[in-house]
Amino acid sequence: MSRNLVALIRRHHEQGAPTALEVLKIALEDHGEITDDDRRLASERSGLPEAAVHGVSTFYDDLLAPRGRRHVRVCTGTACFAATAGDHVTALSEGLGCALGARSDDGEVSLAETVCLGFCHSSPAVRDGETIDAGAGVVERVLAGTTSAAAEPTPLSVLDLPVLLAPAHDWIGLRYAVSTRGPESLLEEIKAAEVRGRGGAGFPAGAKWEFARRAEGERKFIVANGDEGDPGSYIDKLLMEDHPSLLLEGMALAGYAVGADHGFVLTRSEYPHSKPELELAATTARAAGILGPAVLGSRFSFDVTILEGAGSYVVGEETALLACIEGLRGTVSSRPPFPAQRGLYGMPTVVNNVETLCNIPMIARDGAQAYRELSPASATSGTKLVCFNERFRRPGVYEVCFGTTMGELCLELAGGLVDGHEIKALQIGGPLGGLLPGWKLDTPFDFEALATEGCMLGHGSIVAFDETTDMRALAVHLLHFGAAESCGKCFPCRIGLRRAHEMFLGTTPVRRDCLEALLETLELGSLCAHGGGMPAPIRSLLAHFPEELGLT
Amino acid sequence: MRFDRSVTTTCGYCGVGCRLEAHAADGRVATIAPALDGPANHGHTCLKGRFAHQFSRKRDRLTAPLIRGEDGALRSAPWDEAIALITSELTRIRDSRGPDAIAGLASSRATNEDCYVMQRLMRAAIGTHNIDNCSRVCHSPTSWALRQSLGLSGATGGFDDIEAADAAIIIGANPTEAHPVVGARIKQATLRGLKLVTIDPRRIELADYGVLHLSPRPGTNAAVMLGLAHVIARDGLTDELFLKQRTKGWAALEDLLADYTPGEVSRITGIRAADLERSAHIYAEATNASILWGLGVTEHRYGSEVVRLICNIALMCGKVGRPGSALLPLRGQNNVQGSSDMGALPDTFTGYQSVGDEDVAQRFEARWGVTMKRTGGLKIPEMFDAAVAGELKAMYIFGEDVAQTDPNTTHVIAALESLEFLVCQDIFENETTKYADVILPASSFLEKQGTFTNAERRIQRVEAAIEPPGEARTDFDILTTISKALGHDMGFASPAEVMDEVAQLTPDWAGVSHDRVARGGLQWPVAADGTDSPLLYAERFELPGGRARLAALPYKPPGSEASDEYPMILVTGRRLEHYNAGTMTRRTGNLELLASDWLELHPDDAERLWIGDGDLVSVRSASGRIELEARVTVRIEPGHVFTAFHFPEIRTNLLIGSSADVNTACPEYKVVAVDVRPVAEEASRTPAITGARRD
Amino acid sequence: MTLTIDIDGTETEVAPGTTVLEAVRAIGGYVPTLCFDERLDAFGACRVCMVGIEGLTVPVAACTTLCRDGMRVDTRDETALRVAAATVELVLSELPGPPAQHTELAVVANALGVDGGELRWPGEQHEHVHDERHPYLALQHELCISCGRCVRACDEVQGAFALTATGRGFGSNIAAGLDEGFRESACVSCGACADTCPTDAITELTLLALDSEEASGAL
Repeated sequence: MSRNLVALIRRHHEQGAPTALEVLKIALEDHGEITDDDRRLASERSGLPEAAVHGVSTFYDDLLAPRGRRHVRVCTGTACFAATAGDHVTALSEGLGCALGARSDDGEVSLAETVCLGFCHSSPAVRDGETIDAGAGVVERVLAGTTSAAAEPTPLSVLDLPVLLAPAHDWIGLRYAVSTRGPESLLEEIKAAEVRGRGGAGFPAGAKWEFARRAEGERKFIVANGDEGDPGSYIDKLLMEDHPSLLLEGMALAGYAVGADHGFVLTRSEYPHSKPELELAATTARAAGILGPAVLGSRFSFDVTILEGAGSYVVGEETALLACIEGLRGTVSSRPPFPAQRGLYGMPTVVNNVETLCNIPMIARDGAQAYRELSPASATSGTKLVCFNERFRRPGVYEVCFGTTMGELCLELAGGLVDGHEIKALQIGGPLGGLLPGWKLDTPFDFEALATEGCMLGHGSIVAFDETTDMRALAVHLLHFGAAESCGKCFPCRIGLRRAHEMFLGTTPVRRDCLEALLETLELGSLCAHGGGMPAPIRSLLAHFPEELGLT
Repeated sequence: MRFDRSVTTTCGYCGVGCRLEAHAADGRVATIAPALDGPANHGHTCLKGRFAHQFSRKRDRLTAPLIRGEDGALRSAPWDEAIALITSELTRIRDSRGPDAIAGLASSRATNEDCYVMQRLMRAAIGTHNIDNCSRVCHSPTSWALRQSLGLSGATGGFDDIEAADAAIIIGANPTEAHPVVGARIKQATLRGLKLVTIDPRRIELADYGVLHLSPRPGTNAAVMLGLAHVIARDGLTDELFLKQRTKGWAALEDLLADYTPGEVSRITGIRAADLERSAHIYAEATNASILWGLGVTEHRYGSEVVRLICNIALMCGKVGRPGSALLPLRGQNNVQGSSDMGALPDTFTGYQSVGDEDVAQRFEARWGVTMKRTGGLKIPEMFDAAVAGELKAMYIFGEDVAQTDPNTTHVIAALESLEFLVCQDIFENETTKYADVILPASSFLEKQGTFTNAERRIQRVEAAIEPPGEARTDFDILTTISKALGHDMGFASPAEVMDEVAQLTPDWAGVSHDRVARGGLQWPVAADGTDSPLLYAERFELPGGRARLAALPYKPPGSEASDEYPMILVTGRRLEHYNAGTMTRRTGNLELLASDWLELHPDDAERLWIGDGDLVSVRSASGRIELEARVTVRIEPGHVFTAFHFPEIRTNLLIGSSADVNTACPEYKVVAVDVRPVAEEASRTPAITGARRD
Repeated sequence: MTLTIDIDGTETEVAPGTTVLEAVRAIGGYVPTLCFDERLDAFGACRVCMVGIEGLTVPVAACTTLCRDGMRVDTRDETALRVAAATVELVLSELPGPPAQHTELAVVANALGVDGGELRWPGEQHEHVHDERHPYLALQHELCISCGRCVRACDEVQGAFALTATGRGFGSNIAAGLDEGFRESACVSCGACADTCPTDAITELTLLALDSEEASGAL
């Protein structure tokens, strides 16, 4: 964001100082709250001015929620909403005798909202201290004090030879690249593979890498965006926790092609296992001479730092992500300049989604042609991970091919909905994705095809709402999320999402013309895809379920 | 309409010269905002220019002439009576003791036109060259040295050179407090990559933004400069072609530099040899580098020599005469540059033209219709000496509170008391008016019209936002009226006409007029067609032959050194919220922001002297004693203490003795040997110095 | 090397790196802005400087859009103005009352034809908190529209870094230091924040007094 703030902290960072956010998080861990003395210490250690530290401490959910001796975090994400319509939240709050977002008077227990825990396959989910429990009876178990760790999701690949879900990992792609081809050659291969970003924007990774390679800077960085904040999505979680070395290999390859010697992974604090798993994989890789000053014995050096966020959805936007890594408020910056020209600490930076980077090793090993051949010629190249919510009979993470229809995915792969429920609508790609009504399941799963239906591929999550879901309540749920996660910088989103939420709250009829005008303002005026994308599901509701919205 | 009158004017506080939009309502200033197109300030200003204007309507503002009666009390009097008294007394003294028994002190806060009129009054109406201004006590060494080394008495460039530079040295200045808008520009430049080296006994704020900070012992600046020059020469960083084609005196300097090895300089100054070497390289290896300095260089016994040594370095590296490579003295007062430019000096007319130069003198004599001596008059310190000696009988002090701001307060007061007649022209009663026989109510910068010249040599317009209060008059009005009463009618209808005369008599100001100055100002020299000079010395220096003069001046110790009796060194300076004597700022909300001052003291000294943070301490020098609160800080070095001079109740300048610059008599405010101890502590109870000095 | 662009039918040359807003202002044109200040880096927050660009289906923010050779800019583009006006209408909805006529916000609202009389999206406003601890500066939190100009002026012009944005989303506001007021923070009282504030959220106590005198007919 601010060039000056970055200049101030860069000097400290180069000497190994922590960021202000890191110091604040440590203080929180240590004594359950953040005091002004903590802020002053964070300022002193990080070089960030005191006022800016104060600003950071008021931005992130983790830093704001008051903590009791027992800190309970209840997931209010879309999959959990789809499962219970929010009843689990009320039940838990009443049962604990603690309001949402508050701490009990005796300081014993606190209850906070969290979005999302990544257990969408067995919603609803609750984090009780360090244990994440989920599924039927979770509220009762929390109240009884008998929580136990919920089961992780099942991954499955439709391919005989899984690419992203391969059980074993061999680093061959990296070995081949650093020993037999130069960085430019690798870059050309990635460009030829036509890898589109998997985080939602679908931007060609090769083009992004090329911008960074050509940019001027003392140093360059690779950043893996592990801030998978979309409620309903647990794809990156699986990759980071079960295939961490695949990600690290992708990052190293990116570093090699771009000329970067260091990478950062930003994981989520809502996924407490991601950082430890990645750090373990990195330590192992260093010991094996794969990461470090001489990667696999070559002259290429590359290492990584694993970081954790502090509770903000919009930090998944690339410029906000970089601000979070720097320990600043996670607000969005206008572009240009793009991160590839001026990113982390002002240096050229490639920001890629975790899944995107996990696609790279296969290309480095088998070539662009083989990668493109993974999917039908008319569709996007490579494979995609999708995940299904608890409403489905066989929820979990699946590696699929682009171009498969939604019906095949939902009914054949995931087995349709449990207990005879009907798919009323699907939200694909995240809370900013349009809603595909149940009668349009013949739509192919690919970027352009979904866009034609007012939907998006996004990050690939598929959340089904059954016939019990009230669409006005869904609108309230989505807009509450949208407004709460707005970074607050741009006016249309900061004010407009709040107003949209207010319009749907309660039972007052919503004036359709005012709503449409507001949606247009958000779509065309917002600074980023958060405010810009929030109208999409609302437009779907207007198009397909207007009678449930209470319009005039 | 929110406002009755809105004018664009120039700030009357410091030498930055911010352009301001002043808005008045109901006869008072309602608000002041920075002018977006201000050449020096670019739409910014500081808390003084922006907010500290309420003094203009404070109740204790002088609104009528005051005459002191036999009983010592002041009474209001009509203008006629006051002027008649002044005329009769000055005439009497002139006729009985000669015109040189009278001296004038022009205000460096007043406009160019006011200062010109004042010096013309002294020279033509009274007949003496005894006229000086307060640049004497701040940048007179700069003025002297720049004229010696380069030719003209002013910055070689302007503030834009800060953004154009790749590296810079700031020595003896604390811009974020004393020139806030320039301090802000420098800070922003460092954040964009300017490599800054700061040299100051205190760790000033900008040191946190620079790449290196040097803390030399007070009074050793010359050794630092000679050391830098030594390294530049030793490591082959000189611009040989520039030295050969555009300077004189290299051989002698080169010879002298051999003695100032980093090791030797380290011994003298206390700075590390490696730091000295690194600083020299940072400056010399930059494509463009500038040097900025302030009173921490000039207010020393050899301040004028240090400025010449600063010029040496720039000349050795060819870093003068192009954008980004400038020599920028940070002039203190809003018009200290201008008051000197206007000849309110004992030895020069306008534009530094010597009173002894026959052609020049005849030109002025012709215009004014008088004859004048060819020898110069008294400098301020000499005026006080002459008063005490009984030779100076009268003074006309215009806008100066010498009893608070000049050194050796006891001596100053003795001088004032010795006078037969003292006229003070000011906006408030102050420490000096206590000794006045007549006090004339003057106008502030918000109430007059004219021009100021800022530290960039930029002449800028001043417009009145409000009227002088009560019966106070503009200084232009007062001075021309008194001159006329003394028999010399200058015939100016307005300040603009004054500037027209200046232009006619001053080659460097030939093209200056109020119309031409307009919004953007003009940096002198201004040619007859109005072309001004943002950059000096691009082709030649203003000296015979066009070459600059290098100076081979060895280091000599300061006038005041620590001794057994006075083991600490006091450095004095400024604070952000107040301006000099605090006459204006202490009468505004700024007093709420900073109500009093304190003595900065290093923790080692505090421990050794049994002084706790917040304790009342006494500070004693050979000249006087004061008491104030101590505050412990690591931003100062052990052995040094620091305070400012804005509060008359603290009377810092009592401590300053008569040590002064050898060439210009600028007082050595920056190095005073003092004894510091808790109040009520007797000498025998202070423990002996125990701990070694921590590096 | 210069670029040639067309603004509302007028051709002009600009240097590469010039934004559309800078180009419009250079020829004396007008595009309303709220978060822009020529003394600060462009921020792109208010989304009021929307203009149409030939060949693009959606309007863009002029302050952060770089000129390209041959670009044709339409500052009267209907969609752009409609979005800008709606954004200003949203801003008016978060304020307790119409903005004082001398404020930049009022000028912009008038220019865009937004009178705030019939608000389409009424809703919650910000908490009334008046901070008058400083001798000169007044901070009225309920008038803050989080344009960030004060924070940026303190950062990019003065370099005191005394201010910050606080909170997130609609709850955003600003604070000095550790929310301790100007005097306790790193503030040097330069007034750059008051000077740049478009709504008088930060202004001078003397001006508040003057305006209330005028309002009550005392002048």
